[in-house]
Amino acid sequence: MASEITRVESADWRTTRRFYLKFLEGLADTQIGPLYIGVWGILALVFFAVTVFVILFGYLEQVGFNPILFVREFPVLSVEPPPPSYGLKLAPLAEGGYWQIATFFLTLSIVFWLIRIWSRAIANRIRPNVAIVFTSAIFLYAAIYIIHPISMGAWNEAPGHGLRAQLVWANAFSIKYGNFYYNPFHMVSIFGLLGSCLLLAMHGATILAVVRLNAHREIDEAESSTEGTHRAQLLWRWVMGFNATATSIHTWAIAIAVVSMVAGALGVIFSGTLEPDWFQWACRAGIVPGVIQPGTTSVAACLR
Amino acid sequence: MSTQPDTTPPGAIAVYDERQAGILRLEAFGLVAVSIAVLGLVIFAFLLSKGLASAFTYRAEHTYNYAGIQMTDINAYIQAKKVQIQPISAEALTAYNEWASKNPKTVNVQVLNQYLGDDYNNTGTIFNYMAVYVSGGLGVSCEYCHNLQNFAAYDLPQKTTAKNMLVMQFEVNNKWVNNVPRPEGQPLYQIQCATCHVGAPKNWNKTLKASNPAAFGIEGGGLPYGYEMVDEQLLKTRPDPQTGEVNYYKVTATKDTPAGLDATYRNQNQMYHQTVALGVGCDFCHYGGYFASYYVENGSFKWPKAQARHMIGMVQDLAINWWPQMQFPAPETVAQPNCYMCHRGYVVPPGASNTAPQPAQVSSPLIKPLEELPLPKPITP
Repeated sequence: MASEITRVESADWRTTRRFYLKFLEGLADTQIGPLYIGVWGILALVFFAVTVFVILFGYLEQVGFNPILFVREFPVLSVEPPPPSYGLKLAPLAEGGYWQIATFFLTLSIVFWLIRIWSRAIANRIRPNVAIVFTSAIFLYAAIYIIHPISMGAWNEAPGHGLRAQLVWANAFSIKYGNFYYNPFHMVSIFGLLGSCLLLAMHGATILAVVRLNAHREIDEAESSTEGTHRAQLLWRWVMGFNATATSIHTWAIAIAVVSMVAGALGVIFSGTLEPDWFQWACRAGIVPGVIQPGTTSVAACLR
Repeated sequence: MSTQPDTTPPGAIAVYDERQAGILRLEAFGLVAVSIAVLGLVIFAFLLSKGLASAFTYRAEHTYNYAGIQMTDINAYIQAKKVQIQPISAEALTAYNEWASKNPKTVNVQVLNQYLGDDYNNTGTIFNYMAVYVSGGLGVSCEYCHNLQNFAAYDLPQKTTAKNMLVMQFEVNNKWVNNVPRPEGQPLYQIQCATCHVGAPKNWNKTLKASNPAAFGIEGGGLPYGYEMVDEQLLKTRPDPQTGEVNYYKVTATKDTPAGLDATYRNQNQMYHQTVALGVGCDFCHYGGYFASYYVENGSFKWPKAQARHMIGMVQDLAINWWPQMQFPAPETVAQPNCYMCHRGYVVPPGASNTAPQPAQVSSPLIKPLEELPLPKPITP
């Protein structure tokens, strides 16, 4: 099977177990399938299904198994981690046990999905770059849900599973640790996030701009540059004085996205463990002035 | 869904590209259109959920200046909320006139004359106070509390409750309201009956609260806390008797802060309640860069933060010391006090008054606090 796969555009590939959804023409490729399931895929999907089931059961229990309330309250329903008093111990179901079970299976599901991507890449005879980059996102997930709570000594530091719970956690985490905007790792992470968007927009717009010159055939272009590539690169040399190549732009994209995830993860891990109050860190670093203390008239030194 | 043979031979780039170019044009158009549609839907859903009118008038910053001087008119508020006020009945007026002609000097008055002076030993003065502040504030006629044949009698339980409430009102004014840290020139408002009752004798019970949380300044809610102001932790927290230092809701971490975010969630719920109750945003009290600070970056002092801290102490005092002594007709149904009880979405409570008579300090009030709660140390510049 693997030896038959040569190019995505190959007629052999596209005619194997194909069907087309014409309405997808404007947004994606119209070809659907073939889909590989496999052991890791099954494991990932099953564990994810268990996660969803546990979370939804927790929601239903909170609304007394009332379907109308379930729908109405869905945006604010949440399966919360155990209270701080439980530390890192197992908790009864209604007091965080649901969260512990759901998080356990969610973590397994994510890991199995990572293995699935990795194994499919190997089977496809391509490098496992997608899987490697995915680990950076998993690192951020693990930092928030596992590493930071364990290093602080309470699952309560982790977010609940729910739409509103994610926002509430982000807010509370920032409030507790001084002000997350002054966390230097958060600063780098946001730089990476915004930088990723900028780079993606620049790249997408550039390729679309030279579609009529075949530049969208990126693989061909990477192997043997044509007029589209040259003009696209000339555009950026005119604008910025330098340009990425058809290959290196993708390396840039990976790098800046990974920086965003890894820096974000480190920022979470170091909160409370190395620095309890990022505003005071910023004060010591000279980024912000110290706050005035009541009863005085001048800016005090940093508090701690 | 359709199936079609792939007639494009491998390597026929030109044919493929012509089709792809069209697709890419569609992609660009589609992405822009979908983005605009999604954004529009989100905005529409938001407006729908808040109600168009309330979405544009949610914050009430435009109704006050920074010192909180502008006052919302109580009558306008009552009218807007369609509160039915019962005027003093003709029967009650007749009975009062008869009573007053027989008793120009008060009989069995126990509270008003203590706090407001000897004038309040005259039946007429008492009647004026009752008509304006008590009957007007609760929206009831005299017979709600009084036996019209004998105004001095205590045969209705409401009258005992009202008497205790008056003591509470004056004591709370003396202890808390008169000591609110405030900038020079900011007017001082007094608590009166209308401050909490706003035209209804029973407006603060658990049944109403469960059926209409928004009417209690509790919007949204959700686990694990909802937006209860008086919780077990607030009931347990005490200012240091020596220094007056107190930590009602402070959560900014230090190296000694225990693990867990529950305290922060609690803090955020209380803060959210306060924004709803006063109709303000966080930056009314806080410096957004560092919520723990009493100063903003330009060095100006956040008086509202100092005042809010003081008022949290007052709510705690009401819950610990006064609610249990009010002899409510059905104490188990009464809800705990919170900021919205008086503020109703405004910085200055609509029912507060800066014209009500100032109470004197009374050495032996009719009822005393169950526990001496020290005042939190006032935070001032």
